[in-house]
Amino acid sequence: MEAKKILLAEDDPKDVELTLAALAEYNLANEVVVARDGAEVLDYLYRRAQFADRPAGHPVVVLLDLKMPKVDGLEVLRQVKSDPALKTIPIVVLTSSRQDQDIVESYDLGVNGYVVKPVAFDRFVEVVKRIGLFWVLTNEVPPGTIGC
Amino acid sequence: MDLLVGTKSCEFVHISPGEIHEDGLGTIIKDKSGDIIGYQSSVLDISDQKQAEEELRAYRDHLEKLVAARTAELDRRVAEVEQLNQGLTNLLDDLQAANRNLEETTGKLEAVNEELEAFAYSVSHDLRAPLRHIDSFAQLLLKRQAAQLEPTSARYLQNIAEATGKMGQLIDDLLALSRTGRVEMNLRPVAVDEIIEKAREELAPMLAGRRITWKIAPLPAVRADPGLLLVVWTNLLSNAVKYTAPQPQARIEIGATPPGDEGQVTFFIRDNGVGFDPLYAHKLFGAFQRLHREDEFEGTGIGLATVRRIIHRHGGRVWAEGESDRGATFYFTLREAEGE
Repeated sequence: MEAKKILLAEDDPKDVELTLAALAEYNLANEVVVARDGAEVLDYLYRRAQFADRPAGHPVVVLLDLKMPKVDGLEVLRQVKSDPALKTIPIVVLTSSRQDQDIVESYDLGVNGYVVKPVAFDRFVEVVKRIGLFWVLTNEVPPGTIGC
Repeated sequence: MDLLVGTKSCEFVHISPGEIHEDGLGTIIKDKSGDIIGYQSSVLDISDQKQAEEELRAYRDHLEKLVAARTAELDRRVAEVEQLNQGLTNLLDDLQAANRNLEETTGKLEAVNEELEAFAYSVSHDLRAPLRHIDSFAQLLLKRQAAQLEPTSARYLQNIAEATGKMGQLIDDLLALSRTGRVEMNLRPVAVDEIIEKAREELAPMLAGRRITWKIAPLPAVRADPGLLLVVWTNLLSNAVKYTAPQPQARIEIGATPPGDEGQVTFFIRDNGVGFDPLYAHKLFGAFQRLHREDEFEGTGIGLATVRRIIHRHGGRVWAEGESDRGATFYFTLREAEGE
């Protein structure tokens, strides 16, 4: 039985709490894995360090914050999208920044979507819900990528 | 008989009438004993020769005078040229010094601009996150405690949420204002009617349910940055729509006067809204300046400052006329597009 996982890459604990709360409103929070910085994201995707024993399979989407310590979002994007084993994983940047340079560079690196976190809570919830619903329920992934 | 001959030559000048010069040659004939026995003289009229000599002398004098005069003139001119040359050299030195100054100032301005970019980035990113947290947790608390909260407490939480919303809007407006000053302008012929259409589309949520009579005249094309021009019209239109809200039938009129000298077109947008007190007209375009209270009309007071900055960057002027409760008209000038 496939478990569709969402990988949430976010260093701010408040934003983690809010995103989980938003996803929970639509019953999408069950299979959310939280990575606190870019290094943890890569460890999860490569199944190493504390994630070495997790079941094989890609997340259906990675919600990627850009400003994270150790390895930042753009660097994660660069590594994942240039690795043939990982590049098919959908990645949606979820960030506070609307700076043109960040948007351009993300798309240059092959991001699948770029979303600016709304400041107003109800709009934030709406946005997270739509992202979750689309990638978890509507989108199709290559067969065999999300689990055995 | 031996003749002794002594010769003497002299000039004779007859005084009148007319000058006649004669060259005389006289010979005295003496006999052996020294007695003068005769004279022989011959006179040659050398008047012509003399006249020729005079004329030659006169010409020579004249020529010498001319040469002297010309030489003096030339000397004077040379002195002038040398003076001008010196002046030009000084001017050049001044220009080079001014140029170096300019380069230094430009360098400083670029450094300041970079600082502003970094500041704007920080504002756009770093301020938004805590703002979102304040709003979100206030709302979550409201939801969780809705049953238990008494109305005043609930209202306090609501105020927190509204204040953060206002702050978010302020940040967006400030960033837009700062961006209009920093972004590179892409000037080209722009169809103003298309821009106004786009602005009206952007304002669709605001226009929903409103009764507005629009009167938009055909508008000439201008030379402008389309993105920035859209910001101008969006701001002006949104103001017109906002401040006509109390009127049962709002009327918004947009037009342009034909290009005058120097190819400047004057655009105007006139509304029949609440207008403004002309006493405070000079404050209209200042940043954060508002002429109405927040509970009368919402707003951040940046829209017109943004409009003014954009129009000034285009080399135009912007001004307004209005009366309290008798509507307002906003004018601005832009260069007409060439070769349309």
